[in-house]
Amino acid sequence: MKNLIYASGLAVLLQFIYIAPSQGQLPFDEIMMSNGEVCAALMFEHGTWNRYWEGDFLRENANIGTLTRQLIMPYVAVGIGKHVNFMASIPYVRTEASGGTQAGQEGIQDLSLSFKVKWLEKRAGAGNFSLLTNTNFNTPVGPYLSDYMPFSIGAGAPELGMRGIVSYRTDFGLVARTSMAYLWRGQTQIERDYYYENGSVYSSFMNVPNAVNFHAALAYWLLDDQLRIEATFQSLNCLTGDDIRSYNRPQPTNKMDFAQVGTWIQYYIKGRQGLGTIAYVNHTVSGRNMGKFTTVGLGLTYQFQAFNKSSN
Amino acid sequence: MKMKFTNNIYIIILLWFTSACLEETPRFLEFENYEFEELDVNGGNWKTILVSNVDQIEVPAPKPVTSSEYVQELEAMRQKMNSQTAAERDAVRYWTNNPILRWNEIALEMAAKYNLIPGPNPDGTYTLPNPANPDGPPAFPFAHPPYTSRMLAYLSVAQYDALVIAWKHKFQHNRTSPYWVDSSINPAYPKSQLPSYPSDGAAVAMVSKEVLKMMFPLEHTFIDQKYEEHISSLENAGINVKSDIDAGILIGNEIMSFARQRASKDGMANAQTPKPVSDSIANAAYERFGWKWQNMETPQRPVGLTPLFGKVRMWHVPNVEEVRSDPPPAPGSAQFEEDVKELKKYAAHMTLDQRRIANWWEDGLGSYTPPGHWNKFAKLSIVKNKLNPLRTAKVFAYMNSAIMDAGVACWDTKYYYHYPRPVETIKGFRTILGTPNFPAYTSGHSTFSAAGATVLSYFFPDDEAAFQNWAEEAAVSRIYGGIHYRFDATEGTVQGRKVGQYAVNMAKSDGAF
Repeated sequence: MKNLIYASGLAVLLQFIYIAPSQGQLPFDEIMMSNGEVCAALMFEHGTWNRYWEGDFLRENANIGTLTRQLIMPYVAVGIGKHVNFMASIPYVRTEASGGTQAGQEGIQDLSLSFKVKWLEKRAGAGNFSLLTNTNFNTPVGPYLSDYMPFSIGAGAPELGMRGIVSYRTDFGLVARTSMAYLWRGQTQIERDYYYENGSVYSSFMNVPNAVNFHAALAYWLLDDQLRIEATFQSLNCLTGDDIRSYNRPQPTNKMDFAQVGTWIQYYIKGRQGLGTIAYVNHTVSGRNMGKFTTVGLGLTYQFQAFNKSSN
Repeated sequence: MKMKFTNNIYIIILLWFTSACLEETPRFLEFENYEFEELDVNGGNWKTILVSNVDQIEVPAPKPVTSSEYVQELEAMRQKMNSQTAAERDAVRYWTNNPILRWNEIALEMAAKYNLIPGPNPDGTYTLPNPANPDGPPAFPFAHPPYTSRMLAYLSVAQYDALVIAWKHKFQHNRTSPYWVDSSINPAYPKSQLPSYPSDGAAVAMVSKEVLKMMFPLEHTFIDQKYEEHISSLENAGINVKSDIDAGILIGNEIMSFARQRASKDGMANAQTPKPVSDSIANAAYERFGWKWQNMETPQRPVGLTPLFGKVRMWHVPNVEEVRSDPPPAPGSAQFEEDVKELKKYAAHMTLDQRRIANWWEDGLGSYTPPGHWNKFAKLSIVKNKLNPLRTAKVFAYMNSAIMDAGVACWDTKYYYHYPRPVETIKGFRTILGTPNFPAYTSGHSTFSAAGATVLSYFFPDDEAAFQNWAEEAAVSRIYGGIHYRFDATEGTVQGRKVGQYAVNMAKSDGAF
C-alpha cells in the first residue's frame, strides 16, 4: 500500500519563470511506483506576473505589462525494480506580454530525465521513515533562444541535479517531507558574441549559475489514500550571477532566486490503477531577478501495470 | 543488481556532463605581442586631425643615452623590472606593445556599462542623465549609439594625433630603445628599431585616460587605475625609461587641449532637446510630409533620442545636407506596402539564420552599440596584419570619425523626415528586437556599418568582401528584427558608404597607409 500511487510534486518545479523547467520536474517526494508500473501524465500550467525583481527591487514595467507563461507537458514515470523509478518529461512552453511591442516566444523546452532511488525505509514510532535520492538531467531540445528574457521559455543550458529526500509518514496518513538539491548548470549558447556581465565578455556562451533548491511539504492522505493534499514551500537560490541592470532586460547569467508557497491536490478516481487528476497553485513570496509568478496547474494522470505483472 | 544498474547510469550521466567542455568566456581579446610589419619612418609627416599645425606642440630634445641622467633612468628601469610582482608581469602581458587595442576595449566596456536607457519615474515622467549631476539617478551618460560613436571618435582621433607627433619626434631625435643601449636588458616585447623617445605608449595612455574621463565622469577611479597600470608596464616591459614616458605624457596633454576645445563646441551639449524644440521638429516634418514619428513606449517618452545630433559638427563632411537622403516612400505607397508585407512575412515565419542575424547585430541596450561592433572587427584586422601603433591609431581614427559622421548624417535624416516605425504603422505588430526611441528612416545600424566597412575596406583591401558583407548583414538584420523597413536599411547603407568615402578621401590625402 505504501507505494500506492504515483505522480506528485512533479509540477511544483514547473512554474519557474525564465529558468523554469531547466530546473526539471523531479518529484522530490517519497512516493515510489512499484516494479513495472507506469504513470503517464499530461500537465497544463498557466502562470503570470506583473511585477519582477530587478536585483532585489520589485518593480513594474508597463512595456511588459503582465507576462503570461503557459505550458503543456507530457510526462511519464516507470517503476523499474522495487527501488528505482525512471521519469521523463518534455514541455512545450509559450510566453506572451500584455504590454509593449515585443513578441513572445514558444517552443519545445527541455527534455528532462531522472532517476529516483529509495535507499532506506524504516519503521520508526507510529510511522515510516524514508530516505531517497533523485538524479535528474535536463537538456534543451528545441532551438529556442534563452537570451531573450524575460520572454524566453527557458535558460537553454544543460543541468544535472542531485537531490536528497527525507520523509516521515505517520500511520494515520500525515506526511512530512523535505528535500535539498544541488543543481549544476552548464552554458547556454546565445546569438551575440559580446555581452556585459560585470564587465565585457567576448563569447557566444553564457554561464548559467549553479543553484540550490530546497523543498518542504506537509501532506495528508484521505479517502483511503485516494486523495492527497499538500502544503508546499520551496526556494531556489543561484550561487553566483549578476543582477539585472537598471531598467535593462534579464539574461541567463543573472543570479535568480525565489521562494514560493503552494498547495497541491491529487485525486485517484478509482484507486491505484486508471485515471487521476492533479491541481496545484503556487505563489512567489520573495525573489531576485525573477518575475513574481503565480501559477496554476492541472493534470491528468493514467496509471497501469505495464510489465512484471506476475509479481504484482 | 538493480542498484548496480542505477549506479552505472548515474556514472554515465555524470561523465557525460563533466566531460562536456565548457567554452571560455574571456574578458578581453586574447592576442600575443607581435613584431610590427612596418615602422613608418615618415609617419611624423602624416596629417593630424585635431591639430592643424603640429609645430604648435613643442617637445624638448632628449638627453643622449650617454648622459648621466639617462644612465640613472636606465638603472631605475632595470631595478623596476627586477622587482616586478606577478600582477605587474600580468599587466605587461595584458597591455602589449600595441596598447591602443586595450584602451579601445576599455572604451567599449564603458559604453556597454553605460548604455542603459533611463526608466520612468513612479509618476510616469522621465529624468534625463545630466552631466552636471552624473551620479543621477539616472547615471550620466546614457551611452547610446550617437554618444558612443562620438566617444570613440574623440578617443581614436586624439590617439592618432598624439602618435603622429610622437612619431615625428621619435625619428627626429632617434633615441634608441633601452635594450639597444644595454644588451643585458631583456624586453617583454619583440625588439624594435622604433626610437623610444617620446614613448608612444605613454602618449596613448594619457589621451585615452583623459578622453575616457571626459566621457565617463563616474569612472575616474577605474580609468586612473588603468592608466597607472599601463604607464608602469612601460618600464616593467623594458621598452621605455622615465624621460621617454614623460615626453609621451607631455604630448598627450597638449593634444587633450585641442580635443577638449573641439568637444566643448561641437554641438553635442544641445543634441538632447527640450520637449518644445522636439515637438517643433516633429511638427515641421508633419507639415512637410504629412507624417511624424512617435515614441510607442508606456509611459510615452516625451522626446526622442538626441533630435539635434544631426547638427553636431562632423569630422570630414563639410555640410550634413550633402549627405541627407532623399525622401522615403510615403506610408500607403506601393513601395511602402511591399516593404510592410516583407516585415509581416518575417514576423509570421523567421528562419533560424535570420533570427541569428537579427540578434548578432542587435547591439542594443547594454551592449557596446554598432560602432563598438565595428571597433571589434577593426581590432581583429589590426592584429592579423600586425599593424604598428601609428597605423592602428590611423585605422581607428578614420573609422571612428567616419562612423560618427555617419551617425550625424543618419540623425539629420531621421529627424528631418521623422518617419514612423513599423510598430506604429502596422496594427498589432510585434517584434523580436526592441524598437528604439527615434525615427526609422534611415537605419542607424546601416549607416554606421556601411561607413565602417568603407573605411576598413580602404585600409584592409584583402578583406573588403567580408566588410561589405557584414555591412549588408547589419542592414538587413534590422528588417528581420521588425524595427526597420527595407528602404530604411537600403538607403542607410548608401548614406553610410557616401559618408565613409569622405573619410577615406581624407585618409588618402597624406599619401601614406
